[in-house]
Amino acid sequence: MATPEVVFAGTDGGAVTDIAQYEATGGFAGLAKARAMTPDEVIEELNVSQLRGRGGAFFPTGRKWSFVPKPEQIAKPHYLVVNADESEPGTFKDREIMLRVPFRFLEGCLIAAYAIQSKHVFIYIRGEYEQEFEVLRDALTALHRAKLLGDVTIVLHRGAGAYICGEETALLESLEGRRGQPRTKPPFPAIAGLYAAPTAVNNVESITTATSVLEMGGAEYSTLGVANSTGTRVFSLSGNVVNGGNYELPHGFPLKDLIYEVGGGIPGGRKLKAVIPGGSSTVVMTPDEVEQATLDFDSLTSLGTAIGSAAVIAIDDRCCMVQLGIRVSQFYEHESCGKCTPCRVGTHWLTQILQKIEDGRAAQADLDLLLDVCDRILGKCLCPLGDSDAIAVASYVDKFRDEFQAHIDHAGCPLGGSSSLEAVLAPVAVHGHIAHKAVPA
Amino acid sequence: MNVRTSALYEEIQKIRKRYPDELSAVMPALQLAQVEHGGWLPPDAFREVADALDLTPAYCLSIASFYDMFRLAPVGETVVEVCTNISCGLAGAQRVVEAFERELLLHAGETSPDGRFTLRTVECLGGCGWATIVAVNNRHRLRVTAADVPALVAELREKGSDGNA
Amino acid sequence: MTTELVRLSVDGREVEVPKGTGLVETAAAAGVEIPVFCYEPRLGPPVGACRMCLVEIEGLPKLQAGCTLTAQDGMVIKTAATSAKAADGQNATLEFILVNHPLDCPVCDKGGECPLQDLTFRYGPGVTRMTFPKVTFDKPIPVSPLIALDRERCILCYRCTRFSEAVAEDGQLVARNRGNQSMITTFGEDPYRAPFSGNVVELCPVGALTSTQYRFEARPWDIQQIPTVCGLCPVGCNTSVTTREGKAKRVLSRNHPEIDGGWLCDKGRYATPHLDAPDRIREPLRRLHRIGLEPISWDDALDEAERLLRGAQGRIVTALSGSETIEQAYALGRLLRGGLGAHSAVLPESTSSALDAFRLPLSGIATGEIIVVVGDDEVVDRVPIVDLWLRKARRNGTEVIVYGPTGAAGNLPPGGAAAALHALTEPGSPLGKRLRASDRAVLIWCGPGGGGGARVAEAAHSLGFDEKPGCGAFHLAATPNGRGVAIAWAAAADEDESDPEPIGLLVVVGDDAAASPSVRALAERAEAVIAVTMFQGLAGGWADLVLPATAALERDGTLLNVEGRLQRLRRAVVPPVPDELAWIAKLAGRFDVDVSPHASVLFEEISARCFDGATAADHAELPPRTPYEAPPPGQALPMAVPPRPAEDHFVGELRLVRYRPLFSGPQVERVRELQFQRPEREIELAAADAERRQVATGDTVVVRSNGTSVELRARINRRLAEGIARIADEHAADLHPTIEVAKP
Ligand SMILES: Cc1cc2nc3c(=O)[nH]c(=O)nc-3n(C[C@H](O)[C@H](O)[C@H](O)COP(=O)(O)O)c2cc1C
Ligand code: SF4
Ligand code: FES
Repeated sequence: MATPEVVFAGTDGGAVTDIAQYEATGGFAGLAKARAMTPDEVIEELNVSQLRGRGGAFFPTGRKWSFVPKPEQIAKPHYLVVNADESEPGTFKDREIMLRVPFRFLEGCLIAAYAIQSKHVFIYIRGEYEQEFEVLRDALTALHRAKLLGDVTIVLHRGAGAYICGEETALLESLEGRRGQPRTKPPFPAIAGLYAAPTAVNNVESITTATSVLEMGGAEYSTLGVANSTGTRVFSLSGNVVNGGNYELPHGFPLKDLIYEVGGGIPGGRKLKAVIPGGSSTVVMTPDEVEQATLDFDSLTSLGTAIGSAAVIAIDDRCCMVQLGIRVSQFYEHESCGKCTPCRVGTHWLTQILQKIEDGRAAQADLDLLLDVCDRILGKCLCPLGDSDAIAVASYVDKFRDEFQAHIDHAGCPLGGSSSLEAVLAPVAVHGHIAHKAVPA
Repeated sequence: MNVRTSALYEEIQKIRKRYPDELSAVMPALQLAQVEHGGWLPPDAFREVADALDLTPAYCLSIASFYDMFRLAPVGETVVEVCTNISCGLAGAQRVVEAFERELLLHAGETSPDGRFTLRTVECLGGCGWATIVAVNNRHRLRVTAADVPALVAELREKGSDGNA
Repeated sequence: MTTELVRLSVDGREVEVPKGTGLVETAAAAGVEIPVFCYEPRLGPPVGACRMCLVEIEGLPKLQAGCTLTAQDGMVIKTAATSAKAADGQNATLEFILVNHPLDCPVCDKGGECPLQDLTFRYGPGVTRMTFPKVTFDKPIPVSPLIALDRERCILCYRCTRFSEAVAEDGQLVARNRGNQSMITTFGEDPYRAPFSGNVVELCPVGALTSTQYRFEARPWDIQQIPTVCGLCPVGCNTSVTTREGKAKRVLSRNHPEIDGGWLCDKGRYATPHLDAPDRIREPLRRLHRIGLEPISWDDALDEAERLLRGAQGRIVTALSGSETIEQAYALGRLLRGGLGAHSAVLPESTSSALDAFRLPLSGIATGEIIVVVGDDEVVDRVPIVDLWLRKARRNGTEVIVYGPTGAAGNLPPGGAAAALHALTEPGSPLGKRLRASDRAVLIWCGPGGGGGARVAEAAHSLGFDEKPGCGAFHLAATPNGRGVAIAWAAAADEDESDPEPIGLLVVVGDDAAASPSVRALAERAEAVIAVTMFQGLAGGWADLVLPATAALERDGTLLNVEGRLQRLRRAVVPPVPDELAWIAKLAGRFDVDVSPHASVLFEEISARCFDGATAADHAELPPRTPYEAPPPGQALPMAVPPRPAEDHFVGELRLVRYRPLFSGPQVERVRELQFQRPEREIELAAADAERRQVATGDTVVVRSNGTSVELRARINRRLAEGIARIADEHAADLHPTIEVAKP
């Protein structure tokens, strides 16, 4: 079906990595427009578009920029930091954006920098994205040659493998040369972010979309999508579907159509068992819920889950939900930064309890303990990472309780080794405990 | 640290200038040092980076050990990393891991005695729609199935370290 | 400046506090406890890591980390006492903490004085629901010869690492790895080698970091705490000495916010074992011709002393160390000067009274605007705590300018400090202008010479500091009580001194005097020598009579610190030998001089004469400033010889700066656990000088100055000014001020 392309406009399925080609197809018109306006007018344009953050928190982008004090209010340099650390399991959209429309993305950086009156842009790109880094590096050189940067400097800063650095304050710590551990808020980045100076942190897709917003105008953009969720979104579809991949669709698109029409349905004619709608951190959905859901903030929120990073993971009936819980919990345990107690200890504990259930060693009390530990993590942590584990795991129990119960009743996995996640091997911590000689008594 | 590595020292001084606060240079500096030292960070690498940035080796260690892509032990010339997170897992990543284990005669997490290969499983590499994702020295191979592995390993064995054309 | 007050309620109790007060302090003001582990304001901004301080705040859906918030008007705070939610939150935190914490309290050194133990009793879960094996580590491991780390007990509050990174800024103790693999470590097997390492033991809220000296030595219920001050440098950090059965077991900080901010250096904290050094002199010794020293009774010793004193017929020179109490110096003065007219003395470097016009608490350094440090020595080597105040100042945004061998401010040749300082007072000097303009400027002299701060006082005066109470000037003296000793000695009699020739008797007081080469030179010339020392090694070779000395920890008395503050030294342990005052008084009696054996009585006498009757209390006040009096002029400014520049084949000579490291001296030499802190056999070279000589850190080099040569390990110090090299005294042999350095 034909759907409006905004982020990927003008690429017809390919990539535009040549600056001339990009300019030929109307590139940098948005930037020209923006630079002809006042910064406040640019921000107003985004407010009108009702563009909301694509990184997961869905915070209105225009409002975020308006929170950044004016240079005369705080006489420090202002910073734009772009979050290209894309690490939420199931999410791989920013990567394709950087590969296919690098100039639209960089144009967005310059527009955003202009809007918050910043001369310094840092793009924090996850270390595993090597090809993407090279594409951006080359695009940046071209931009430089084309004298389009003006007095703005854009620095590519490569991460080194830590999911938590996607959390904005952890990202800032990491960028400052510290361990990537989240900061307490307040102060918020808008006031005291990078180097304790006013900073806007935005996701790659948000920034790239800002370019289109300026090209087409905020009002025009806001006609796309649905109320509270205007515009298009690049949905990352993965898991048990025929055609996994990124699909730019208007908000409000039916979830089932994404899976069955766009995604070609479940391979091997299997049954859909569950869907994770917005990245691993979101509450899992049952097939009935999938039927009613549309891909927008309100619909998914009303169903008790979230649009998150718009990463849709389809799960077919071969998957054991306890094993899913283990693998998800292993991920958060592995990625916990270790700063706050509930997350550092709780994520590990959850994995242990889940493993016990999967192995059939668990008693009824362990299921209660599992939920209680989730409850004790929830809302007690320094940042949302620990919560994410608790929310996800608790939702698996909540929606597939019978299956968890069966593990306890039959002292083992009802799928008896046939699960698609059977024995899947999570990475062991790269930097483990090291031995030392003990103090002589 | 000493005369031999002043090349690295000079490179790091350049990186330093990129940032309003020099401390920001520690990650790029360590990344550079890791390449210089053949894919991992021996104690001397930390001393060199510390000296070049006016930090302590301990500080540099505390940074490096936070991030998975810094290596504190030697790795093979070719590092094969298989994503086993949810989406790849659902698509049969474990079969791919086992195929590599068979072909490379290694368990995940090990490095071959001849120092040619390291095999690891990793968290989501951001290619979930094209599962299973296999990173060969950070170059991503998409839609890898267990069936593809023998050919892939053969290719790596002859192409040598990187295998990425 | 008026601070806005805000009203809020904690557990229903109304309180009024200045806006911005932390919630932990606010609750305390309301008489409510918010329990904490990671929160410690002295370590910088709160980190909100441990989550022990969770509280409910009306209007906020989630529990909040109380330690990270500040008081706002109308806030309604509910702690565990009144909020089930908060109680559950704290209970949860403790359950999580205890998941991996071993329950080995009975064998844990912290047991009985452990915050985790206490809070678990008050807020914790009764039973554990953790049925899995706890994380285990080898334990305990040495962080250094001084500190043991038990990683199983560590609750990762990051207090220790924050101290290392954000207070001492030594970057030695760090967190390694991520998530539940995180742990505290140094670099590999390297020890935590830094001047202030011991503070992390006091900061650790559990038994993870313990002192190797104190481990298994005592239990909280069988110890006493004696409040006193450290007598090892002129700051006199306020301490509390833990004793058990009359022995000093450990030294803890007794936070004086103006003086030490609650920190101690490792010398002051860990030097106590020198009290029990094997070579400690426990009874008087007399030299027997050819046989050496023989122990004698105290009666015989006093007879012998009397004989030597009379025999010298006033041709007596007294050498003092500067570690004596005011009372000791005064008593000696009364005996020797009053009783025997022996006025001639070799006094330690004193501090000019002209500085009293620029008094400032040391904490004033941290709030300064511009600070200028001049001198050849590193601050940490002379007066360690001031190094922490300067670091805090830098973190507060203070501009700290250092004129010295390792100062960025200028390639200052050794001995050039006075000249540099003088230049600031010249009308043209831009920095001088800014110092004049500032209300919070501080001058610090850190090195030998300079008339004991007289030159600094002159500069401060000509920069107009007299009128500005926020501006100050300090002289970082080399000895703990040099100024107090000088004042007391002077107060003991009025006649001026006359140098006797030949010297009939040399009275050497204290181990520093005994160890000083110049004093030994005098001893060569003296017909007889009486030495009052603690240790055999020092005076054994050349004294005719050795009288056992006491250590600072064994004395009652008074010290005058670097700020000009009188501080009370309290006897923490009973000495194994008679107190100096006791036998001085006896001896004085034999010369019909009336000297009290009681420190308090003696101090009253001196105070009446010298300190307007001030009394030394614990936590003494800083006396008010006195009007400026110009000090005696110094000789023409020593224009230091700049090093000869490099030429084609001749790599040039270097100017040598010898320094007395913090970890040196008779006490440190006698503490096994402190040996690793002593300076390496190394020479510090500027990068350019090293390169010119093709020398890299770690290489062995030969250091020559006419006649002598030593082999040392080279270390490149990138802060060191070109043309200058640094070597610790103990490794500099008798090298001259100008040296040549080359590969063997
Ligand atoms: C644990 C965690 C991981 C996150 N990872 C990412 C990420 O990989 N990419 C991203 O853009 N935002 C991520 N976020 C959200 C960021 O904190 C931040 O909200 C976002 O980058 C703001 O940009 P936006 O307003 O344009 O969405 C993460 C948040 C959390 C709590
Ligand atoms: S060792 Fe002690 S102070 Fe350091 S993190 Fe652990 S518990 Fe905190
Ligand atoms: S005391 Fe507040 S989080 Fe540790």
